[in-house]
Amino acid sequence: MSYHLPVIIFLIPFLTAICMPVVVGKRLHWCRPMALAAVFAMCVAAVVNLWIVLDHGETRYAFGGWDISTSLPAPPIGIEWVNDGLASIMLVVLSFLASVCLIYGGPLLPQSLGRRVVLYYTLILILISGLTGIVFAGDIFNIFVFLEVAALSSYALVAVSGGRALVAAFRYLMLGTLGASFYLLGVVFLYAVTGTLNMADLAQQLMDKPELLTSKAVIAGSTFMFIGLGIKMALFPLHGWLPDAYTRAPDAISPILAALMTKVALYAWIRIMFWVLGARAEMGQVHLLTLLGVLGAVAAVVGALLALSQQDVKRMFAYGGISHIGLILIGVSQGNQTGFAGGMFYLINDAVMQASAFFIAGAAVYQHGARTVDEWASLRGSPWMTGALIILAMSMIGIPPTGGFFGKWYIILGAIEAGNYLAVGAVVVATLLTMAYFQRLFISIFRDLQTSSSTVRVETHRSLRVSVGVTSVAIIVLGLCSDPIIKLFRDTAESLGLMQE
Amino acid sequence: MLEHIEAALRRPNFIAFVVLFLWGLFIMVTHPNLVKKLIGMYLVQTSVIFLLVTLSAKKGATVPILQGTDAIQSVTHEIDPAMYANPLPQVLTLTAIVVQVATLGVSLALVTASYRKYGSLDEDEILKRIE
Repeated sequence: MSYHLPVIIFLIPFLTAICMPVVVGKRLHWCRPMALAAVFAMCVAAVVNLWIVLDHGETRYAFGGWDISTSLPAPPIGIEWVNDGLASIMLVVLSFLASVCLIYGGPLLPQSLGRRVVLYYTLILILISGLTGIVFAGDIFNIFVFLEVAALSSYALVAVSGGRALVAAFRYLMLGTLGASFYLLGVVFLYAVTGTLNMADLAQQLMDKPELLTSKAVIAGSTFMFIGLGIKMALFPLHGWLPDAYTRAPDAISPILAALMTKVALYAWIRIMFWVLGARAEMGQVHLLTLLGVLGAVAAVVGALLALSQQDVKRMFAYGGISHIGLILIGVSQGNQTGFAGGMFYLINDAVMQASAFFIAGAAVYQHGARTVDEWASLRGSPWMTGALIILAMSMIGIPPTGGFFGKWYIILGAIEAGNYLAVGAVVVATLLTMAYFQRLFISIFRDLQTSSSTVRVETHRSLRVSVGVTSVAIIVLGLCSDPIIKLFRDTAESLGLMQE
Repeated sequence: MLEHIEAALRRPNFIAFVVLFLWGLFIMVTHPNLVKKLIGMYLVQTSVIFLLVTLSAKKGATVPILQGTDAIQSVTHEIDPAMYANPLPQVLTLTAIVVQVATLGVSLALVTASYRKYGSLDEDEILKRIE
């Protein structure tokens, strides 16, 4: 039973999505409980899975029983899923955020949906199962398929309310498909050289034949894969689709996209970078990790600068997300355990923080019709949202009891260990810029607090309150429990052969 | 320089791939018409699939089911892999085509919806009407 757990976790949202239109029929009020039940079941299964993996170590699942081979330890001929510590902890985060986002989405759904609300829930469940597939995949082609499953449903979800979102969704689709094509091209190159798609087998072949790693085909293939995933994760020069898509997407959708899509694409790249190419890979004459560190530093600073110059709050948070992708890349590219653990920990935190940020932004639109920084002055009428915003700001800037602080702390420690002061500078500058754009929000909210008595107190909707509260608590809990998680990531980094100085 | 050209000429499939890919990319970037953009996107995807197919092509190979004497003697007999086509690239191609068709479906739905809403397929025109 526990051997099949990864597949069961994948099948829960997937089967629910397929059954939903049939089972629900005309009883539209069944949709939400059904979807919620599916993601809660997924949460429980993910926690059980994490517990089993921590207890018994990683397991590998070979589909269709295709692991029968005469010469052990040969990789399976078929598709393989890897269920290790990293994957299982990502899965817990994913299913947790998916369920919070579904709780949040209920009252904010566009009224124009009508009977199509069934399809909305179907799409969101397929998105979740696609992301689950990416997290588990141990096969580079499998990652491509699940990336497209998740991406197709997110294009449709962005466009769900029609109007201006259609153009943003179309642009997202164009760039996303281009990214997927680049990724597929990289897969074709690697397959042509090595004749395998399995990540473990690829890594083995690259290790056995070191001349392969410097061959043009592997360099070109991994570059194309990086460009493809770079578009998907909205790394700075390739981020063009993200702000429009997240700003125009319905308020019920943007949290789940912002929290999970880019982060899971980045996770897929980390898998390929460390598990296939290895930490010592070089692109031409440049060390791959150095290159990524520089790209990350640029993304972190420029993303934060662009965020500072925005008027629309959702757009500001979207650019903030681009800057955080850079921070995570800085962390994982330092080539030591501390940096890797910090980067991965920040990835988890960032998923929670982005969800919380878009929850608050969506709630501001829902309750006060406030979209721009100046209109956010009306947010002082809802103490729940303001309180959550303060916790969020503490975490994004990096003030101790929150998770964001520990992520940044270990990233900076890792950079100092590696003697990479450019990266340290980039993190500090990005932090200052983050502080500046939150300052703008707080100035807008708390300015003239005594003089203006016209603020209306609006009772926050219960499900908004629950979801915002849960993510705020999660931000603090992640900070308080950072030690075991960091230790888990350190062990992962150690098994990858990263140094501890 | 010359040896690069020579190496490229020995692999005409790569030249065809590069031409198709860049052509598709060019159409995607330059044409304001949404449907033409989609055609460009389709070309890009098809070119990658084309590369996958040409890389795995084998002359004179047959379906990957043991045939003739191979079927009887497969345990002791050495099998010549050049006789049989590799099924994996073909499966990959099929999967990639399925993904491509699904993408095309979603994108056509988006184009139709924006045509109904704004009455135009021209991107600049649509952006003007949004303002």
